[in-house]
Amino acid sequence: MNLQLLISGTSMGFVYGLIAMGMVLIFRSVGIMNFAQGEFLMFGGYICYMFNRIFNIPIGISLILSSLIMGVVGAIFMRTAYWPLRKAQSKAIIVSAMGASIVLKEGARIIWGSIPVSMDKVADGTAKVSTASIQWQYVAIIVIAAFLMALVYILLEKTFIGHIMQATAQDQYMASLIGIPVIVSIGLTFALSAMITGVGGGLLAPIFFLNNTMGMTSGAKAFAAIVIGGFGSVPGAIIGGLIVGLVEAFGGAYISTTYQLVLIYIVLVLVLMVRPQGIFGDRIQEKA
Amino acid sequence: MTSTLNPKKPVLKMDNVCKNFGGVIAADKIALELYGGEIFGLIGPNGAGKTTLLNLITGIYQSDDGEMFLLDKNITKVPTHRRARLGIARTFQHPRLLNRCDIKTNILMGSDLANKRKIKGGKLEEDMNMLLKCAGLQNVNLSDSIEKLSYGQQKMLEIVRALLCEPAVLLLDEPAAGLNTKEMDYIVALIKVAVQKDIAVLLIEHAMDLVMGICDRLTVLNFGHQIATGTPTEIQSNEEVIKAYLGGSCNVKS
Amino acid sequence: MKERFKSIRLTNVVIVAAIFLLCMLIPSQTSSYMLRVLNIAMITYLCVLSVYVLLGMCGQNSFAQAGLWGIGAYITANVVMKLGYSSITAFIISVIGTALFTFVIGFAFFRLRMYYFTFATVGLMTILNGLFMNWKEATGGALGISNIPEFRVGGFVANTETSKYFVILATVVLISLSLKFLFHSPLGRSFMAIRDNEIAANCLGINSLLTKSIAFAISGALCGAAGALYAFLSGYLSYQSFTYQQSTMYLIMIMLGGTISPVGAVIGTLIISLLQEWVRPLQNYMQLIYGAGIMILMIVQPEGILGGGKVIYDKYIKPKKTSTKNG
Repeated sequence: MNLQLLISGTSMGFVYGLIAMGMVLIFRSVGIMNFAQGEFLMFGGYICYMFNRIFNIPIGISLILSSLIMGVVGAIFMRTAYWPLRKAQSKAIIVSAMGASIVLKEGARIIWGSIPVSMDKVADGTAKVSTASIQWQYVAIIVIAAFLMALVYILLEKTFIGHIMQATAQDQYMASLIGIPVIVSIGLTFALSAMITGVGGGLLAPIFFLNNTMGMTSGAKAFAAIVIGGFGSVPGAIIGGLIVGLVEAFGGAYISTTYQLVLIYIVLVLVLMVRPQGIFGDRIQEKA
Repeated sequence: MTSTLNPKKPVLKMDNVCKNFGGVIAADKIALELYGGEIFGLIGPNGAGKTTLLNLITGIYQSDDGEMFLLDKNITKVPTHRRARLGIARTFQHPRLLNRCDIKTNILMGSDLANKRKIKGGKLEEDMNMLLKCAGLQNVNLSDSIEKLSYGQQKMLEIVRALLCEPAVLLLDEPAAGLNTKEMDYIVALIKVAVQKDIAVLLIEHAMDLVMGICDRLTVLNFGHQIATGTPTEIQSNEEVIKAYLGGSCNVKS
Repeated sequence: MKERFKSIRLTNVVIVAAIFLLCMLIPSQTSSYMLRVLNIAMITYLCVLSVYVLLGMCGQNSFAQAGLWGIGAYITANVVMKLGYSSITAFIISVIGTALFTFVIGFAFFRLRMYYFTFATVGLMTILNGLFMNWKEATGGALGISNIPEFRVGGFVANTETSKYFVILATVVLISLSLKFLFHSPLGRSFMAIRDNEIAANCLGINSLLTKSIAFAISGALCGAAGALYAFLSGYLSYQSFTYQQSTMYLIMIMLGGTISPVGAVIGTLIISLLQEWVRPLQNYMQLIYGAGIMILMIVQPEGILGGGKVIYDKYIKPKKTSTKNG
């Protein structure tokens, strides 16, 4: 029982970690909390579903294709919801992202309908470990998500494009002065963020049915993950995601499933009260 | 105005105040005494820890060691807003006004504080007009937004606001930086008003002629150390000071 | 100068009289459905006003407003139905209770800096919603509370849509007017000082923790009042009304209207409430258009409609006025 919960909690944690990582990438790049990140997950899931079930393409290739398309969606999102407002106050960007999330949610409903759908698993069947039965899909989620996280890390730290993206994140004006096209660089960041989050949707869909409101709840959990882990920190996003996933799994099993989200947010508020900057966050010192 | 042998009690007293930021020493055993009606200069090269010292006095930073007294009250652990209510007013290097409010609201912030401190002048209007005149702001429309004012006028407005708080100590962080000569005269006029009101003025400034001209005493900071304290003439002939300003490390004796 | 003063006074009087007349005429000219929409809109306006106090004046963003609104509503329902107190008492208890709750929460949450407060309020909202859904004794759980008696004072019972309209209108006007005093008081000024520059505010003797908590408590009181009115208006409370999405809606409304003045709250609330009604016939595409509309409005007018209006006013109308004054 506990092992089963541990595995499912960890794998959900990795998915939340992916969304959270996507949010953190955007936050570090433009200093804005993306309130539409959860919708990327939902939209990516639906695109994957479209390839897998409507065009009958194997799930592995569907995941890659959907991820690529999500890259485009991310770039479009950046161009429409963020770029025109980049000089406005951050509240305005948050509101426009909220508008965009409604558009994505309703768009998905109009295109794919509101009936929950499912698709193929990456790995079928269950493994028996003593009394626990573990779905292979959970293991697959952990492997794929960890692989993606490593990939993003390598991309950002070891490649030229990653360095450009980091330079832009740190100082847009400076970046443009040394010849980096800021719009391309930020666009890439949004695309990357949408890509990894979108894959998360494709991975979750076979376990929980896809519907157009799932972005909201997963987004809320990923948000909690970021805050718990420490705002703006990539390792924090992953650790926070794991904490959220485990609290959800064990809390759901031992306390009550109706209180799952409440439990997560109680953890969030407690963490904030004890350690206001989150686990990995930098201590904030206001400049005088 | 004599200084070194002032018989009065100090208004603000700093005793061995220390602060470091992760190994960087920003204030090292600072000891200061400020008297009412005195203009005390604080000079030093960039990064010497002058603004840090103001932040320590106002309580924006907590000191690591040492004690501070305002009119005999120990304020070392007192939070910023309480210190302000006890009578510490300051201005900032770059004016920090309420950017989205009109000029009148900004000025009233100062008298709000005076009211909180139960200092009932009852002549707010009169005081305000006098100060605005000293600052050369008598012709501005008080219902205009702050953004209508020039940089220099904003700095002046900040001092007016601080003076309307009726403080015991006034901390000025580079009031003359970025101002033209005419505006400098206004600043001097405002400082003179403060002196008349028996306020202790702590002045951070890079413009040497201004500092040497109006300060009664001054202290020189370098890398958080207080390398010299005294009257302007004493400071001007101090070797350490010349070294700090002209380069060369204090430790290397050639 | 004196003449100009007089003319402004006169136009103000005319405007106020016109609005008053309009408000009096509305019930007789509209359907009861539209009147219900307006009643809900006025209650929403109170919540948006609470966001204005917190965000527009004090610069702090909270996503818990719908939860506070819910607290006010459930307090009223319980006080009236279980304790049998009068409507007015229930209203006052709701306002004070919500304000107290918010003040205590604010005191804990405002130890967090900058956007971390906002995060904590998202948490609070979710927790409150979970509580509304599950705490059967106080909120009726998932079934909610129904048959809440109407607002009554003395012999007067607000049981028709029109009488409810006037009760809500009177409360809304009273609250709006009292906010005007807040705006020009030292307390209001200290809110704005914190919004514009917290460190400078501290140096001016403002206790930011206390002041922010007071701002949060005032916004809580507004939400509590809105909640009490809502309980009397609808007679039925469900946890589904008091959601995070509702809170985001308030933010959207105030941002569309503009955060520089309470008028922004009026404009924003009216636009969104009416927009939702107007696109309702489009059924399937309603939400899509609504979302896209928010995006477009934000892109065209990031400072809100009022902010855009102010830019135009400063650019074209004000220079003319001053030039005539000088000439």
